[in-house]
Amino acid sequence: MAAGKTRSSTSDNPRKFTSWKRIWKAATPYIFISPFFVGFVALQLLPIAFSAFLSFAEWSGMNQIQLVGIENFVTMVNDPRFWNALRVTFTITVVCTALGTACSLALAILIEQATYWLSSLLRVIFFLPSVTSVVVITYVWKQLYNADFGFINTVITQFGLPAQQWLANPRLALPSLIIMLIWAGLGWDALIITAGLRSIPDELYDAAKVDGASGWAEFRHVTLPLLRPTLTFVLVTSVIYLWGLFAQPQLLTGGGPMRGTQTIALYLYDVGFRYHKFGYASAIAIILSIIMFISSYANFRVVRTDVEY
Amino acid sequence: MERRRRILRWGIGSFLVLSSILYLLPYVWMIAMSLKPDGEIYSTSLFPQNPTLIQYDRLLHGYQFGDLILKVNFPAYYKNTIIITGLSLVLVLFTDALAAYAFAKFNFRGRNVLFWIMIGTMMLPIYATLIPSFWLFSKLKLVNTYQALILPGVIDAYGIFLLKQYMETVPNEILDAATVDGAGPFRRFWAIMVPLSRPALGTLAVFRFLFVWNDYLWPLVIIREETMYTLTLGIANMQMRQGMVVHGSQMAAAFLATLPVVILVLLMQRQFLRGLTAGAFKA
Repeated sequence: MAAGKTRSSTSDNPRKFTSWKRIWKAATPYIFISPFFVGFVALQLLPIAFSAFLSFAEWSGMNQIQLVGIENFVTMVNDPRFWNALRVTFTITVVCTALGTACSLALAILIEQATYWLSSLLRVIFFLPSVTSVVVITYVWKQLYNADFGFINTVITQFGLPAQQWLANPRLALPSLIIMLIWAGLGWDALIITAGLRSIPDELYDAAKVDGASGWAEFRHVTLPLLRPTLTFVLVTSVIYLWGLFAQPQLLTGGGPMRGTQTIALYLYDVGFRYHKFGYASAIAIILSIIMFISSYANFRVVRTDVEY
Repeated sequence: MERRRRILRWGIGSFLVLSSILYLLPYVWMIAMSLKPDGEIYSTSLFPQNPTLIQYDRLLHGYQFGDLILKVNFPAYYKNTIIITGLSLVLVLFTDALAAYAFAKFNFRGRNVLFWIMIGTMMLPIYATLIPSFWLFSKLKLVNTYQALILPGVIDAYGIFLLKQYMETVPNEILDAATVDGAGPFRRFWAIMVPLSRPALGTLAVFRFLFVWNDYLWPLVIIREETMYTLTLGIANMQMRQGMVVHGSQMAAAFLATLPVVILVLLMQRQFLRGLTAGAFKA
């Protein structure tokens, strides 16, 4: 501040200089955020507003946009395919989240028991699918599930069990998808749970030992309660991710057989980009956004409440 | 007691080793299939009897049917993916760091409102913008272009959030000292903030790399020409080639697409883990 004043007093036209400098100074933060915000408005805010607008309209992308009020939402309520997609997505979300979190918790606790180098190695191994493209993961599993040459049928026929049509049988396709999803998500969740386990102070375990607590009692009364915020975080992020599930069912089964694996996002994509019903697709997108926004908001609230011991 | 504990430890250790081998099976399958000649693709043995690099060779030189050669544009997919990942990383780090610096170290009118709008839209899924974005880019005649692949990925509110948290911990005294030395706001940003925020920038870079490199939905919507395919689109569409045995070369492509990511994550493990746990505990 002092430096600025002395300099401006030595300049030829002190008044003009300071006012320019003031404007420049006030504008600085806006200039800094502008590269982001220009893109943000053009590619986020306006598209979101346009989506919301389109959800009350009928449009194929070619013709005039026609406002139809809440007709799209009425169609949705009466659309058995929408309800099917909702049911499929809900099933995947609940089963994957419950089983996946339980498996990750067990894995994280077991890995903590291993020696240092082994646990570091295991964490990397179990983390691999989290950084591998879902396209790669899905095509590898598609081959593993392949009815003719897939590894899974090779193994089970060796045990004398009949070969299965894992992806073509309506009763097996959804479980096959779910198994792949749990496999792929295990390492990520386990890693976050590990960080949670490590933040539990050792003194609490020492105290439990002094009180003569068994391993199970220790887990039940020390680990689990103190891990609650971490577990909530894992549950909620997994729920958000699964509600928006698209690539895996699209590539593994194409949503079939008989729409048995068609998620909401997959249905939305079909409605929008195959049947060109942009209005109806936008209405589905709005409903999906509301579901995911509520889940995210819950997550944000949970994470913000700091962990206290 | 001590003996029992040691036995338990060994038991858990061997259980974990066995399950991790089983867990890696899809990766073993991927590599094994990529090394099999066509004649062995449908065999029941997991490992190739006569390992060959022909599936990799096809990705470069195409499939040969007598005199006919059917090209796979795999090198182009790779090139496209490298270009869009590189450019979008540079752009996203620059715009996010600038904005995060303003949010962390400046007081300006509308700051909180803008920040909360940003956080609010961050919680919305890509589906909320998918159709209008597609329409916008087709209106601008940018379908099948790098611009269309890159630009939406540059808008990343999460990165601003992450960097802002970090930049707030940089003491104001350092910045004030630079001001006294006559450094303007951009100079303070470039010469002080950016170098001091390297760990957070590294974390963000790894996250964005993974996202852009592995993204599938947006390229699927905006790219129609095979020469503009990214790796994910290319691998997904190899299935469509009728009459050819693509299972082997598809796995070869999958392996080549996965390799750089795995190497990167192994090299940048520290930044990566910090970012992950920061998400869970510091947000």
